[in-house]
Amino acid sequence: MDMKCTQLWQKLSAALKPQVSADTFKRWFSAVELVGATDKTLSFRVPNNIYQYWIESNHMAALQAAILTAFGDPREIKFISSESPVEVGEIIGVSKHTDSGRETKSASSALGLNPRNTFESFVIGPNNEIAHAASLAVAQAPARTYNPLFIYGGVGLGKTHLMQAIGQYVFAKKKNMKVIYLSSELFINEFIDAIQHNNLVKFRKRYRQADLLCIDDIQFLGGKERSQEEFFHTFNTLFDGHKQIVLSCDRPASEIANLEHRLVSRFEWGLTAELQPPAIETRLAILRKKALGMQIKLPDETFEFLANRIRSNVRRLEGALMRVASFASLSGKQLTGEVIEHLLKDILQEEARTSITIEQIQRRVAEHFDVRLADMTSKRRPASIAFPRQVAMYLARELTKSSLNEIGDAFGGRDHGTVLHACKTVKKRMKEQDNIRQTISFIDSSLQR
Amino acid sequence: MKFSVTKEKLLEGLQQVQNVVSTRTTLPILSNVLLQATDGEVHLTTTDLDVGVRGSFEAEVEKEGATTLPARRLFNIVRELPSSEIQIDVDGKNAASIRSGQSFFKILGLPEEEFPPLPKFEDAKVVTIRQKDLRDGLRKTSYAISTDETRYVLNGLLFSLKENKLTLVATDGRRLAMVDIELEIPRSQEADIIVPTKAVTELQRLLTDDGDVKVSISSGQIAFDLNKTLLVSKLIEGNYPNYKQVIPGEAKERVTLERETLLNSLRRVSLLASEKSNSIKLSFAKNNIDITANTPEVGEAKESLPVQYKGRDFSIAFNPEFLMAPLRNLTEDEVFLDLIDEMSPGVLKIQTPFLYVLMPMRISS
Repeated sequence: MDMKCTQLWQKLSAALKPQVSADTFKRWFSAVELVGATDKTLSFRVPNNIYQYWIESNHMAALQAAILTAFGDPREIKFISSESPVEVGEIIGVSKHTDSGRETKSASSALGLNPRNTFESFVIGPNNEIAHAASLAVAQAPARTYNPLFIYGGVGLGKTHLMQAIGQYVFAKKKNMKVIYLSSELFINEFIDAIQHNNLVKFRKRYRQADLLCIDDIQFLGGKERSQEEFFHTFNTLFDGHKQIVLSCDRPASEIANLEHRLVSRFEWGLTAELQPPAIETRLAILRKKALGMQIKLPDETFEFLANRIRSNVRRLEGALMRVASFASLSGKQLTGEVIEHLLKDILQEEARTSITIEQIQRRVAEHFDVRLADMTSKRRPASIAFPRQVAMYLARELTKSSLNEIGDAFGGRDHGTVLHACKTVKKRMKEQDNIRQTISFIDSSLQR
Repeated sequence: MKFSVTKEKLLEGLQQVQNVVSTRTTLPILSNVLLQATDGEVHLTTTDLDVGVRGSFEAEVEKEGATTLPARRLFNIVRELPSSEIQIDVDGKNAASIRSGQSFFKILGLPEEEFPPLPKFEDAKVVTIRQKDLRDGLRKTSYAISTDETRYVLNGLLFSLKENKLTLVATDGRRLAMVDIELEIPRSQEADIIVPTKAVTELQRLLTDDGDVKVSISSGQIAFDLNKTLLVSKLIEGNYPNYKQVIPGEAKERVTLERETLLNSLRRVSLLASEKSNSIKLSFAKNNIDITANTPEVGEAKESLPVQYKGRDFSIAFNPEFLMAPLRNLTEDEVFLDLIDEMSPGVLKIQTPFLYVLMPMRISS
């Protein structure tokens, strides 16, 4: 525990003691260490996972209340169990390759890159043309054309595939370039680690000397202020030194919640390429390529059936192919439409469920604002509950075909006037306040995904 | 393969194994039951690759052999058959003809070779337990197993074989149930393992009041041999949390309660515990406990329970479901409730080594 944490912990314990019994405090909290504190989150180290389970299940309310008393505002609480090993796999890979020789395959996997994710195995269609072309251009001439390259798109559409392809291309073709590929979460973890062990210099050196820095799932930087600052400087150093930066995200940069503006504007500086769900032809091509790669033979009808029925996500498409192929080889049965339909029942159902229900909206909104689902329908109306409820009503109005009356009923039997008022209020506030608009558009897009 | 058997024997045999068969599966063979007819006996096996059960029934075997048939369908047919004598004849293509009285059925199966074999147990640690003891222990603990899949190590029952006793532990983070069973365990056979919920449930169905069960533990697998039936299961990998940390220190107050009286009172009062807060309050006063529940805008309930109590007056609130669960599963007439104060966990005990720790809920005044 460093000085700051020690002080914070003392303050927090003082606030916590009256909240719980003496025995509880001694038994559960005396062994807890505060190891990381930001304006948003507090990380506690616990001796083993029973502490986490028991505190989470029983003493969260007391802890939250104590945090509120001690610091004046709520924080997110994280537990780190000393028993569970810290994930260091990929980082070891990164640092290792800087001092050891480069072997083609094993080294690329040591980089944290999947050798299967290359440009050759990427199927191009109208949905991902631009992203692919831009990635290839970047790989062939890093830092010359598009810098930074920002790839975004939904789940399972190939963001990671493209980034890793760039990494491997550069790694294989340009032997003297230092490639670093990692997820933003890993970046944050390493940063925290560096602060903790006081070796920020080493941390900075590692990232600021890269020739190609690929960071996956950058949206996780949202809300991590110190990490953002650190990344901002890393970004500037690399950019000014004409080094290539590639980022991927599940949404456009401007929609990442709690991301500083200077970062947003920098992300939009270079080229932004979107990945969209593939069209039927592309899906067919993906299936055939994948089948070829796995050396499985299936009738054309089967490919068409799969391509037709699974639209949203390439990963799911491949999973379905895998399942059908393994069924065919295991049972040796004829693959009729019926058999496949039965085999993929769960996937197809999931695909069919594109329409959004009021209940999903309530659940998502409740989760986002951290209120209970029951509050969506309850009679209570303090502002902290009433506003999320209004947001949910507004979204229900926008995203479902339900009538005002139906929406009112779904929210604990309110009448249509209440719903109408809610929609008006939310619209008005969205116009007036940027952060509310962003929040709502974020919930909206996460629901539609 | 050809054999005749009485309806009762076949039904009993199928009942033992059919629960394991998974309803949703990508491998069709897993919804089948493996039948192996040998000298005067037919063995039945089912598995979902995590848990497998093997049982048998006596039959007049005319022709030995083996096949697999859809388990659920076979069970449904046998249950509805009108006559008690059943004859099953399977041809070379795994089609089974079932004859009974005036009825005739033909169902199609899959070849025996496709059925995944149950794992072998070599170099296993072996202990023998009385079936009655194990069944009793499982009953007293298994209801507290967590169903929260994010804490997967808690989705099973801890079997701790140490210091000449078998300790069974289940917890979901809000309560913890623990039983000790005296057992001779050589040092070399000591182990700490987590048995998944499904295996525990099945095992409870198979255990009887007589005889022993031989438990074999090898890496990642466990087998329960109940003489006529065998249950094997994968174990949950990982370390069970240090549950001893949860057990509170010395109690300040102890009350002795009649289990059934308490259970009935709780059941009645809990009818008016609100779904949201879901708590009932126990208020202790001299020789009396008031059990109360109230839900704003709905109503309230109160019941008085005369007891021997001489301690200080205080109130403590519990989740009624969590307090009733052990009471339902115990068989003893008397239970002891140990308490420290309104914010510390309560402990339910009986005469034999059993412990149930339950976290109180906050009393909103």
